Amino acid sequence: MTIAVKLVAPRQRHLKWRALDGLELALMVLCGVLLFSFCTTVTFDIITRTIGTPWLWLQEVTSTLFIYAIFFGAAVATRRNDHLYLTAIAEALDGKARLVVEIVIRLVVLGVAISFIYFGYLNFLRGFSSFRMPSMTPIATLYAAIPICGVLVALFTIEQIVNGLKNGFDHKESEAGPINAADPAGLRE
Amino acid sequence: MNSGLVLGLMSFLFLFFGYLGVPVPFALMAGVLVGASFTQVSHIAIIQKMFDGMDVEALLAIPFFLLVGELMSSANVVIRVVNLSLALVGHVRGGLSQVVTVFSMFFSEMSGSTTADVAVISRALGRPMKNEGYSPAFIAAIIASASTIAALVPPSITAVVYGAIGNVSIAGLFMAGVVPGLMIGFGLMIFCYFFGPTGIQRPRAPFREVAGALKDASLPLMIPVILLGGILTGWFTPTEAGVVAVVYILFVVIPALNRGHIRLLAYDFCLAGLIFSLPLITIGAANAFGWLFAYLRGAIVIADWITGLAGNDPHLIMLLMVALFTVIGDFIEPVPTIIIFMPLVNALTEAGNINPVHMGVVLIATLAFGLITPPYGLVLLMASKFVGVRFSQALRAACPIYAVFLITIAFTIYFPSVVLWLPKHVLPASVGCFPNPSGPGYICPP
Repeated sequence: MTIAVKLVAPRQRHLKWRALDGLELALMVLCGVLLFSFCTTVTFDIITRTIGTPWLWLQEVTSTLFIYAIFFGAAVATRRNDHLYLTAIAEALDGKARLVVEIVIRLVVLGVAISFIYFGYLNFLRGFSSFRMPSMTPIATLYAAIPICGVLVALFTIEQIVNGLKNGFDHKESEAGPINAADPAGLRE
Repeated sequence: MNSGLVLGLMSFLFLFFGYLGVPVPFALMAGVLVGASFTQVSHIAIIQKMFDGMDVEALLAIPFFLLVGELMSSANVVIRVVNLSLALVGHVRGGLSQVVTVFSMFFSEMSGSTTADVAVISRALGRPMKNEGYSPAFIAAIIASASTIAALVPPSITAVVYGAIGNVSIAGLFMAGVVPGLMIGFGLMIFCYFFGPTGIQRPRAPFREVAGALKDASLPLMIPVILLGGILTGWFTPTEAGVVAVVYILFVVIPALNRGHIRLLAYDFCLAGLIFSLPLITIGAANAFGWLFAYLRGAIVIADWITGLAGNDPHLIMLLMVALFTVIGDFIEPVPTIIIFMPLVNALTEAGNINPVHMGVVLIATLAFGLITPPYGLVLLMASKFVGVRFSQALRAACPIYAVFLITIAFTIYFPSVVLWLPKHVLPASVGCFPNPSGPGYICPP
C-alpha cells in the first residue's frame, strides 16, 4: 500500500464522497510539509544564532507555518473524525435517536465553522492595519488561516450530514471512533 | 443577562455538546460564541482570542515532542528500551508489571505525551502480559497509571502548556516534575511488588545481558540526555531542545537502528502534522473560553470563595485547588482545564504567596491523576480499549492504585523544599532565585 493511499483514513467510508479523498490527501500532505518546514526553520534559527549571524525573519516564517499547520490539521481531522472528544454518546445509540444526535453534533460543528468563516473573515480584514516584524507583512496573512479552516470544516461537515442522511450514521466499520482519535499512535491504520 | 447566568450557560453548553459527542474544540467554541452573544464582547474578539491562544512561541515545543514520540514508536526503536527494562526489573516480583512501569519512566522522558505513552506501552506489553496470565483489567490499570508519568517528567507537554499560558518557567516545571514523577513510578513498582499479581518469576538477568541491553538502547536513551542537557546548560530553550531531538532521531537513531524505516518518514511527518494540531486547536478554543470566563469575573468569584475558606494558608489553598481540579479533571482534559482556569490559578498563587512552579507541579500531578479517574479518565479509557476490557472493570482494578497518586499529591503539596530542590539547584532563576549581589550563589525565596 502506498503512503498516499494510507494517508486517506478508511474509517467512516459511508460518510465520505470519493471526490473529496484527494482534498483529504492534499491536506494530510500539507500538514506533513508544514511540520517538516517549521522543523527546518527552527533548526536554521538555532544554527544561524549559534554562528553569530541570526536570521530574524526565520521566526516569522516559523510562526506562519505553525499557525497554518494547526488550522489545516484541524480541518482535515474533521473529515477523519480524529478530533479530541469527551465522549461519544451517539455510538451507544441506534435508529432515530442516533440519527438525531449525529445531526445535532454536526450542526453544532457547522455553526462554529460558519462563525470561523464570517467572523474570521472580518478579523482578517482588520488584520491589514497591523504588521508583523521585521518584514512588515500585514498580520492578515496569518488570520487568513481561520476562514480557510472554516470553509474546509463546513465542507467536510456538510459531506457527513448529506451522506449520513443517505446511508445512515451507524455502520460497523465506523467503530474506530473517538478514543483512537485521541491517541497519536492509534491514528495509524 | 447577568455574568453568572452567562458563565453557567457557556459552561453548560460546552459540557452538554462535549458529552453529546461534539469534538472538544468545537464544543468549547460553541459555548463561548453563544455566551458572548449575551455580553458586550464581539464575536470577532472571541475569534481573535482563539488565535492568540495558539500564537505562543513556547507551544512550538508540542509538535516537536509529539514528533519525537511518533518517530520512536513508528520506527519500532522502543523495543530496545522494553528489552532494557526487562533485563533490569523482569526478575522482580510482579514481572511484566514492573517492566511496564520502568519502561514508562524511560519512554516518558522521550515523548512527554500520556496518550502516546499509553498507546506504545499497550502495543509493546499488552499482549505479552495477557499471555503470562495477568488479568486484562489489571493490565489496563497499570499501563494507564504508568503512562501518567509522562505528564510530570520532562518533556511533559502538559508542563509546556502550563508554562506557556501561565508565564511560568517551563524548564523549572520540568525539573520540579521529576520528584513527583519518580514517586509515582517507584510507588507503582512498590504497589506491584506487594499487591499486584506475581507474574512469571524470571531469573535475574546476568550482568552481561543487562550491559548488552543497555548498549542496544543507548542511542534512544540519549534523547532525554539531549533534551535535558540542552535545557539545563542553557544551550536551547525547551522548544529548540525538541527540534534537536528530532534531528538526532532522523540523522542518528533511525539510520543506525532501523534504516528501512527511512522510506516511511514522509508518512510519519504527515501523521504527526495532523496529530499535533489536535491539542493546539483545543488550546486555542480553551483560550477563548478562559478569556471570557475571566472577563465575566468567573475566576475572581471562585478565587474569593477559595480564599474565603482558606485565607492565605498556602497548603489549604492548594488542597482546595486539588479538590477543584480533581472534580474538573474528571470531566475535562488537562490542557483545556489549565487554560480555562489559569486566571484563577494566578490569583490564588499570588494570594497564598505560593511559588508558581510549586503550584504548577501540584496541579499537573492532580490533572495526571484525573486521567485515570471516572467518568472521563482519558488514559484509562484508552488503555481499556487497547487491552480489550470494559472500562468499569479497569476502573475497579485501578482503584487501589489511586493511593499512589494521593500520597504523591499530598507529598508534593506539603514538601515544596523537596519538590523544588532540583530546580533550585540546577535552574535557580526558574523558581524565583536571583544572583547574590555580594558574593557567589543565589538568594532564594523561602
